[in-house]
Amino acid sequence: MKKKMSNRDKTFWAIIIPVLVLFFTFNTLPMIKGIIYSFTNYKGYGSYDYVGFRNYIDLFSDARVGKSYLFTFKYALAGTILVNVLSLIMALGLNSRIRFKSALRGIYFVPNILGGLVIGYIFSFFFTYILPAVGNTFHISFLQNSILASEKYAWIGVLIVGVWQAVAMNTIIYISGLQTVPQDVYEASMLDGASKWKEFWKVTLPLVMPFVTINLVLSTKNFLMVFDQIMSLTKGGPAQSTESISYLIYRNGMDGGQFGFQSANAVIFFFVIVAISVFQMTVMNKKEEQL
Amino acid sequence: MSKKKIAVSLSLLLGILMGMASLAGCGKSTSDGRVEVELVSYKPEAVEAFAEIAERFNETHDDIHLTIDSPNEAMTILKTRFIREDYPDIVGIGGDINYSNFLDADLFMDISDLEEIGMVKQSYLDMDKGLEFIPQEGVYALPYAANAAGILYNRDMFEEHGWKVPETWEEFIVLCKEIEAAGIQPLYLGYKDTWTCLAPWNALAVGLSDPDTCNQVNMGNTTFAAAYRETAEKMKILLDYAEPNPYAYGYNDACTAFARGEAAMYPIGSYAIPQIKSVNPTMNIDSFTFPANDAEEDNVLNSGIDLQFCVMKNCENKEAVYEVLRFLYEDEIIQIYLDNQGGIACKKGDFEIPAELESMKSYIENDRMADYQDHYYPSEMSVDAMIQTFLLDDSDDSVDTFLERFDTDWKRYNRDLIRKVQQYQQEMEDAQ
Amino acid sequence: MMKKAQKTNWVLTIILILGTLTVFFPLYMAVIIAFKQPSEMTNDVAGALSFPERWSLDNFKQAMEVTDFWHSLGNSLLITLTTIVLAILIHSIAGYAIGRGMAKKKSFRLIYLYVVSGMFVPFSILMMPLVKQTAQMGLGNRAGVILLYVVFYMPMNVLLYTGYLKNIPVALEEAADIDGASTWKTYWKIVFPMMMPMHATVAILTALGTWNDVMTPLVIMSGTGQNTLPLAQLNFQTQFGTNYNLAFASYILALIPILIFYIICQKQILNGVANGAVKG
Repeated sequence: MKKKMSNRDKTFWAIIIPVLVLFFTFNTLPMIKGIIYSFTNYKGYGSYDYVGFRNYIDLFSDARVGKSYLFTFKYALAGTILVNVLSLIMALGLNSRIRFKSALRGIYFVPNILGGLVIGYIFSFFFTYILPAVGNTFHISFLQNSILASEKYAWIGVLIVGVWQAVAMNTIIYISGLQTVPQDVYEASMLDGASKWKEFWKVTLPLVMPFVTINLVLSTKNFLMVFDQIMSLTKGGPAQSTESISYLIYRNGMDGGQFGFQSANAVIFFFVIVAISVFQMTVMNKKEEQL
Repeated sequence: MSKKKIAVSLSLLLGILMGMASLAGCGKSTSDGRVEVELVSYKPEAVEAFAEIAERFNETHDDIHLTIDSPNEAMTILKTRFIREDYPDIVGIGGDINYSNFLDADLFMDISDLEEIGMVKQSYLDMDKGLEFIPQEGVYALPYAANAAGILYNRDMFEEHGWKVPETWEEFIVLCKEIEAAGIQPLYLGYKDTWTCLAPWNALAVGLSDPDTCNQVNMGNTTFAAAYRETAEKMKILLDYAEPNPYAYGYNDACTAFARGEAAMYPIGSYAIPQIKSVNPTMNIDSFTFPANDAEEDNVLNSGIDLQFCVMKNCENKEAVYEVLRFLYEDEIIQIYLDNQGGIACKKGDFEIPAELESMKSYIENDRMADYQDHYYPSEMSVDAMIQTFLLDDSDDSVDTFLERFDTDWKRYNRDLIRKVQQYQQEMEDAQ
Repeated sequence: MMKKAQKTNWVLTIILILGTLTVFFPLYMAVIIAFKQPSEMTNDVAGALSFPERWSLDNFKQAMEVTDFWHSLGNSLLITLTTIVLAILIHSIAGYAIGRGMAKKKSFRLIYLYVVSGMFVPFSILMMPLVKQTAQMGLGNRAGVILLYVVFYMPMNVLLYTGYLKNIPVALEEAADIDGASTWKTYWKIVFPMMMPMHATVAILTALGTWNDVMTPLVIMSGTGQNTLPLAQLNFQTQFGTNYNLAFASYILALIPILIFYIICQKQILNGVANGAVKG
């Protein structure tokens, strides 16, 4: 018996080693290379020198990089909160006693299957031409100018598109969360005479808390990495007010000859994502235990 | 047993990889044995002209097959390919900082033995020389077409109202006011695409500052705060005569609006003419030199190499590539390109200056021209976005903020280059 | 009491039906514009939203030519389908080996953490080195994109498979082992079929991610003359110029395949997504 099991282990190793080789070659190795490049002034082509920590020092004094972090955080925070509130409301609605339940669920999921780039192009037209036209027709002054052209509000345009697409996914996850809440829990609370509001806070929310964790982590990560929508809606403008970190790394790393410098930026970005995810999971795990 | 298993699964993995690599497909030479020459151009707007040129070439050549690509975001794609070390044979790029960088990275081949080099107007060869960070021996680019940037205007509209081409800044402002009084939008700007901010910027800057400004700054002789102040101020004034929210509209939108007669003038380069004509084919367009100064004789026309061909150093079929270049440099072929794209030929000879550039003619003939200032700006510094930021900034000290940033950013983005140039100068001095 | 609770909430139903307008409106706008001619586009709301003068497919025909639609569609299908097949085969067996090994040995536990932590690695840090690396290995093409997807989706899928495995009792496999079947055989004969629901989930999540991805094909295979559907939209933006109608026809074409797939497999997709969340 013992010998058999070790044979089993050998098979496992035979499976895992090639997979690990693959994973290492295309995930870990490029990451290590990226870290090495981050200490050079490489343009991506031609020769280069090692410049020590200069790129990292520059990162912290570079106004453009700072701005892109601010934008990305602002966008991710607002996006995560909006998406989770909206999708929880949607999930409650779609999980209650309504008609056409599955058809409605199906329709609300559509934005999620469509690609961010094409959706961005469609919304770009909407923001540039349709909304200002509506503003002109009804004399609503804040609509008359394209929101994407405003340094202050362009990020909201990007946010609307991001949220429009992301709500669908999180709604489905919350619905499956709500379905794990046993019916008799509700009936019990109803007998207690709890109001709907109270029922939500005391009964429903604690039970779907694990799903809140999943959704928060998922949507924060996705919003932090925003790229497609920026590419199709604003290209980082106006006045560099909507440059996300991913977009800046792509734009200046590939196109701008800052291969080395943007590698350093990417390394920092990696640590930021890990830190935020770990933080979220620890905090939420504590919350779950408390409830 | 276990070793065998690992070996089996590793070779399975390898098999999958190989299978996928074979998916990759085509190689360098075409199936019928012709030598494949690949040209990547950075001008997507010229895609039709290039298609015609490539077709003609392939009809007349049995041994060489020419492919011309002009993808969207071509510069990014080209750089991505350089990063991949996947080089085309010829690149068609502008005479700008990218050319300087690629040349500095030793990517191009010396083509001084191509007899066509002798047919290029000297001023354009000089312009390319000026773009070399460190002076090189040899010739690395075949200048093809130049453009000129000033202000395009709607000739019919001007004639109808009896407006005249302005020659000084004062006349220009008076004209704008007149146009406005006639109930017409004087200017249309497409500042959503940040690069369009550079068009009036360059056109103003060549008239208002030393063409050698960037070099002078690198040598520590001046600052941008001193050199660009008037340019920056005048950029702001232009906004008063443009549509209310120019940051909402891109290059395409502005071209369309101008073509539809929504504005009388459009400060952009001659390269926009084909785009405008695609919307309104019968439009009567002319352009004039940006009247940046208070005296006509101080004005300078902003003109630079819009398209030039460079051969990649590692190109295998030099003869085939030269054949393509010779073909491209035939008068007839240049004319196809010019008819489609407008602009000025870099080749000596009787090429007609297009009607759309008529009011610039005297400047071109008398060589009162200077290269685009932005041809010296590093692309990662994104001066275009900086200008857009500056124009959006409503505060009173916006000019100071902008120029200060220009000077500090310049030092940071150029420090490797400044060091390199100084090192080179040091070596030259030591050698003497 | 029970009866009352079962009653349909019509107010909510109507609100939710009205809410679908937020989904339909942008799509309606896109379809309408795609059918119009440039001359029909005026600068007011009606110009963009009223019905076209005639419903003609000319824009679509032209867009297909300009963007080389069938070719891009073929590439998108090839990349997505191959990725799915490889993901199901490779990730499931990796998940199996790691998951089963993990229960007994610490070394497998470490491997599990190593692979799953890959979820936090943003593509941006890998992008630039990968562009160089794939090119050097001759993988700057569709094959490279597929391979990268297989690696990028490994962390999530391994997590899903190992999670699902916890529900499958080991006793079954041990019984088969005693009967003399090799672990390899046991896996394909017994375990692999039992993980069917998870295969569906993995297939759907991987498909949605790869089909719409822009960045990977953009940096890995741009300039090779091959496009995926989203990449074609990006690359032909300038060719559309100011002809929004042509551009929108092309956008609609790019959206149609996944919409058809969704309409056919809607139930499986929604279940798959929900499944992924619950098990993950």
